[in-house]
Amino acid sequence: MNCSAARARLSEFIDRELAAAESRAVGAHLRECGECARVLRETQDALSLLHELPRQRPTGSVASAVLDRLEVERRGASLQALFRPAWSVRPLIVPSLLHGALVFAVVLSGVLTLDRAVTPRDDSAAARGGWSNKLAPSGTEANPLFPSSNVAVPQLRARGIMPEPFLRWQGEGSVFLETVVARDGSVSAVTLIEGDSEEARALADALRHERFVPARVGGRPVAVSFYRLFSRMEVRGRT
Amino acid sequence: MSKLLKLGAEVSVASGEIALEGAAAAPAVVALEDGLVARCLSGDGFAFSRLVALHEGMVVNLSQRLLGDREEARDLAQDVFLQVFRTLGRFQGRSSLKTWIYRITVNQCRNRQRWWRRRRRDRAVSLEQLNANDEARLASGQGATAFERVARREAAQRVQAALLGLSFDHRSILVLREVEGMRCDEIAATLGVPEGTVKSRLARAREQLRRLLLRHA
Repeated sequence: MNCSAARARLSEFIDRELAAAESRAVGAHLRECGECARVLRETQDALSLLHELPRQRPTGSVASAVLDRLEVERRGASLQALFRPAWSVRPLIVPSLLHGALVFAVVLSGVLTLDRAVTPRDDSAAARGGWSNKLAPSGTEANPLFPSSNVAVPQLRARGIMPEPFLRWQGEGSVFLETVVARDGSVSAVTLIEGDSEEARALADALRHERFVPARVGGRPVAVSFYRLFSRMEVRGRT
Repeated sequence: MSKLLKLGAEVSVASGEIALEGAAAAPAVVALEDGLVARCLSGDGFAFSRLVALHEGMVVNLSQRLLGDREEARDLAQDVFLQVFRTLGRFQGRSSLKTWIYRITVNQCRNRQRWWRRRRRDRAVSLEQLNANDEARLASGQGATAFERVARREAAQRVQAALLGLSFDHRSILVLREVEGMRCDEIAATLGVPEGTVKSRLARAREQLRRLLLRHA
């Protein structure tokens, strides 16, 4: 292949559109002919410059300008064309804001949902169905909390007064009971665990009328269950 | 306004609104474009704004490379989309909407260049000068170092000046191919010439550009 034939095929050689045999022939000529190789290199450099030309960025103003011109042609120039709301001058503004509003709404609802998840649930949670119907919300009378580092033991309003039945009790013995103090400070349940007797039942009845200062978690009153051991023994002095 | 009307008349003759053959577009794109075109035809201003937003960049870019002037390119983009709006009903969807808009853009650029010549505006002097400023503005925002920015700006000015030294036909083929990245069959459909003609003009355009760049160097 001579220089003239190779040059005639140079453009298609660059685009790799030559048949395999022709492409090999041009390639072989370019390896032998320094002049044609230089032309190829210069052409490729020129095309690289074209590829690297900076691109114009769209301004977004063309649509409104075209719609304005159409409007003016249709109605003629009028004051209405000057005093228009922003969304008719730039019709894409409203839909572009919608995307932003949607993202904002999703983020906001996520934040609110997460925020709600850490607040203590109230009684209405029981009405939501599912497992919450079977297990009452913790901190309520049906599912009281137990004393811990966060939950203090409720204190009696009248300190130091032993229940009347206990004082009338004759003989020695112990009673172990569970007391549930409701959120209003009243006793919602007393369960005898150990020491079932006439006196113990009378003591339990008396305990149901006690009044407590309710325990609080995060400022809210909660129901607390705690255990009490009443033990009576007779101590006789040496005569 | 009379200038615009005159241009509009010239363009409607030049573009001929002939349905383009070949350069088949992807079915999904065609379906999307059909929907947009149908909405535009029903007078939906938002759909038209969307259509313009989709193609404005390529119209302005192509116009700037063909005319060598940014402000002219932006002004011409309005004429192009005005033409698109008016003749959308005749778009038959045999080629992609993009190809069709490219064709209108090239024809508008050709008409505007003729208009300049009739008014003895010397393209080689005035446009090169205008273009040098545009390229400086465009290229100055890119590149990591000051040296790179200067080099890129000078290269852009040099290549744009060389482009303007080509005939309009050669320039348009070269820009569609090398700047817009179109295939030869798409260029043939856009310009309404056979693919073989596109290839031979492309070869000549590349060779001329090479020579012009050597001269400018």
